[in-house]
Order: sequence, then C-alpha cells, then structure tokens
Amino acid sequence: MAHAMGSLWRRKAKNVALGGGLTFAVALVAAALFLSDALQAEAQRARGAMPDVTVEALVAGRPSTIPVASAEPFRAYPSVRSVVPRVWGYIFLPGALGNLTLVGTPSSAPALSEAHGELAGGRDLVAGAHEMIAGVGLTSLLGLKLGDQVGFPSRRPDASPLRLVGTFSSSVDLYTSDVVLCDEADARAILGLEEGQATDLAVWVTNPSESHVIATKITAKLPGSRVIEKQLLGRIYALTFGRRAGLVLAATVPALIALLVLAWDRASGLGPDEKREIGVLKAVGWSTTDVLNAKLLEAFLVSAMAASIGLALGYLWVFVLDAPGLRATLSGWSTLYPTVHLTPAVDLAELLALALAIVAPFVGLSIVPAWRAATMDPMEAMRG
Amino acid sequence: MTMNGRTSSALGSFLFCALVLVSIAVDASLRRAESAKSSHAVLVVAARLPSSDLAMSGGARWLRSPSLAEPSAAFDLGPAMLDPDPAGGLLDPPREEWKTETLRTPRGVFPSP
Repeated sequence: MAHAMGSLWRRKAKNVALGGGLTFAVALVAAALFLSDALQAEAQRARGAMPDVTVEALVAGRPSTIPVASAEPFRAYPSVRSVVPRVWGYIFLPGALGNLTLVGTPSSAPALSEAHGELAGGRDLVAGAHEMIAGVGLTSLLGLKLGDQVGFPSRRPDASPLRLVGTFSSSVDLYTSDVVLCDEADARAILGLEEGQATDLAVWVTNPSESHVIATKITAKLPGSRVIEKQLLGRIYALTFGRRAGLVLAATVPALIALLVLAWDRASGLGPDEKREIGVLKAVGWSTTDVLNAKLLEAFLVSAMAASIGLALGYLWVFVLDAPGLRATLSGWSTLYPTVHLTPAVDLAELLALALAIVAPFVGLSIVPAWRAATMDPMEAMRG
Repeated sequence: MTMNGRTSSALGSFLFCALVLVSIAVDASLRRAESAKSSHAVLVVAARLPSSDLAMSGGARWLRSPSLAEPSAAFDLGPAMLDPDPAGGLLDPPREEWKTETLRTPRGVFPSP
C-alpha cells in the first residue's frame, strides 16, 4: 500500500490529469442520473392525488371538450366512487411569453391554507368572488401582489378580471409555477367553455385495482375517447424522465470511452523510470503477485478518488447549485420555469453501485498492463 | 514521505472516499425528510390540478401535461417539421403508452349527448 501511494505521488502530474478527467466525466453522468431520479420522485409524489381514470374526448384526433352528460352512465357503475367534470385549459400570455394553466376549482375540492403549507400567503378562493390563486413563477413574472387584479385574454366578453388572493407555497412550486386556480365559472368564462361542457372527466373508483376494468368499460361506452389510467402514470414518468437522462448519458459515453482508452494507453506504456522501479522491486524479492497487487492498488486509488469526488461534484451541481447548464439544456426555456430546489432520491446503495460501476472497469482495464509489468525480467527492467 | 506516512495517506484516501459517499447519502436522507414535511401540501394542491405532471416543460402547451397530451400533437402534422422547442421539454411525450393506447382505444367520432 505504501509503495502504491509512493508510486502515485512520484507520477502525480499524470495521475492528477487522469483522475481529473475521470472525475469530470463521473460528475456529468452522476448529475444527469441524480436530476432524472429527483424529478421522477417528485412526479411520483403527487401521483397519489390523481384520479384513477381520466377521460378525454378526441375529435378528428385532437383533444376536445367533453359533454358533462357523458359522465352519467359511469356514475351507475358499482365500483365508481365519483365522476367530476373538470374545467381547465391553457392561456397564452403575450406579456409572459408563455402559457399558463388555468384551472377551475370544483366545489368539492379540499381547502387550501397558509397554515397547512399549501399557500405562501393569502387565503383560499371564495366562490363567485372572481378571485384567483397563482404560482410563484407567474406572480413574480407579472409582478403581481396580493390584491392585484388581472384580466386574462378571453374571447368571451363576460370574463371577469381576477383578484389575486393567494400564492402557492414554494414547496409546491414544481407543480404550480404556471398555474392559476380560480372559480369554475370564471375558468369557464375565460377559457370560453360552454355550460354543459368540460375539459375532461376525472373518475375515482372504490377499489383502485379495478380501474383497468372501469377504463375498458368507459372506452367501450365512449368510442373515440381517450382514457388514461393513473396506474400507467408511474410508467409514463419512468419512460419520459429516463429518455431525457438517457440522451445526456448517451452524449457522455464517447467521452467516457475516450477516457478509458487514454487510461489503458497510459497504463500500458511503462516509462523507463517505472520499468527500473519494477526491476528493483523484483530484485529485492518482490513476487509477481506483489507487483501486480501494487499496480492494481494504484488504479483502485485513482479511480476510487475520482469516483467519490465526481459523485460529490455531481451532487453539489444538482442539489446545491440547481444544475446550472444541465437543467436548462434538459428543460428548454420556458419563462415560467420553477426555480425550486430539488429533493435528492439517491441513497447509499445507489451511490455504491455507481462508484463500483466506475471503479470496476477502470481497475479491470489496468489488469493486463499490470500483469505485463509484474512479469518483466528484473535485469531487463533495470536496464530500462 | 516515510513508509508509515504513505500507508496512512493510502488509508486516509480510502476513508475519504467512504466519508464522501456516506456524507452524500446522509445529506440526501436529511433533504428527503425535510421534503416529506410538505407531502401533505403537495397532495392537497395536486388534487386541484389537471395532472401530477411537473411545471417543467417548455412553453409549448402540449408539453405542459404530457401524460394528458394528445397522441398526435399539432406539430406532428407538418411534414418533416423540426421540433419548435430545440431543447425539447424535460418530459418527453409518453410514446410507449400511446402505442398501447392506440391499440386499446377504438377510433371513431365522439357521440353527441
């Protein structure tokens, strides 16, 4: 161990360059994985509140409004607990250069309050008072304060301006940055949705394991509709976040391969000093196994240090610095993008697996060069 | 550097690596515990939202709620059209799910009530 450390110290410039490159590559890969896992965990966290089945109408292959009366046959199904027609949609705000999500609140919705952490300030909506609750991203972009009134663009003249009575807490900013909650009647007026029409139908069932059966029955009852099951959302999130992270990882693969090839090249090309050193060691009684162990230990030390520092840098990049560069590259340039800190989903087992995935190939690559060095004839080695 | 010093440095390096990994795991665990305090608020707010999709996608409206987006988004209609949002959204459309759904959902005209 002492010899391995001394050998690393004597060739510190080479090892720092090699370890530094590996550290950078590990940090990039780890940051992409940490970011993807954190976002997936956040999306899964809110999945519990979603309806078991969502029903949308498709007209000419595009989402359309759905008649509220379409919900009546489903209410009669024994395992259906409730069917709620929902009113929501998107509005393009020229001032913000982005879309906001306007959501009408049904009367049955649970109350929001500052005390329970849903709101950062203000209070919940009062039905019929033309009020709204907005996300932090939107209020800061438009410079809104509690009590301010905003008239959203609408094709209906009866759409009232809305008064800001509450702002969402930063803990829910990932879901609400671009959201405006208002009374269902106000949402209907602003979005231009006729009475008797809804954006979609939210269906809750008594036994969630029966949701697929209910979805199939709804599909048969409303041909041409689009039926989305909550159970599938988990898979959807895994697919969507995994694909983005996969693209970043695929982009880093050539860099990693180049680095491993460089490591192989550096490890296999023994300099005259190294050859002489090995020759002396063998001359003073070191066996082939001793030399092999020392060389493998050198590779292990370099890769383990690079892996741990790389993982730490990746972690700091994502969860302390909020992934500057990487987050924007992955997420696009939405003006209503939430700036909230992400919560890490990584645990010790995953960290060890990542470290092993880096250290094992690096040490593996150094076995052949180490073996060549260890089996050299001492006299030939000392001559250089 | 003496022999003992080198051995201590090597052992110290291993200890440093282990300490870094454990520190990350502990910090992540503490942050998760802190975040769990807001889980109730997240569920209450999410119950009022159209979907649990994160507000992290681009300005393109079909990307905001990909799990509720249409199987044939508007920009698919143009022949060989480029992605209007070059970096894309963080949420890619759920293509695998759409494949299954197309098989399960019969195409037709939505009936009037």
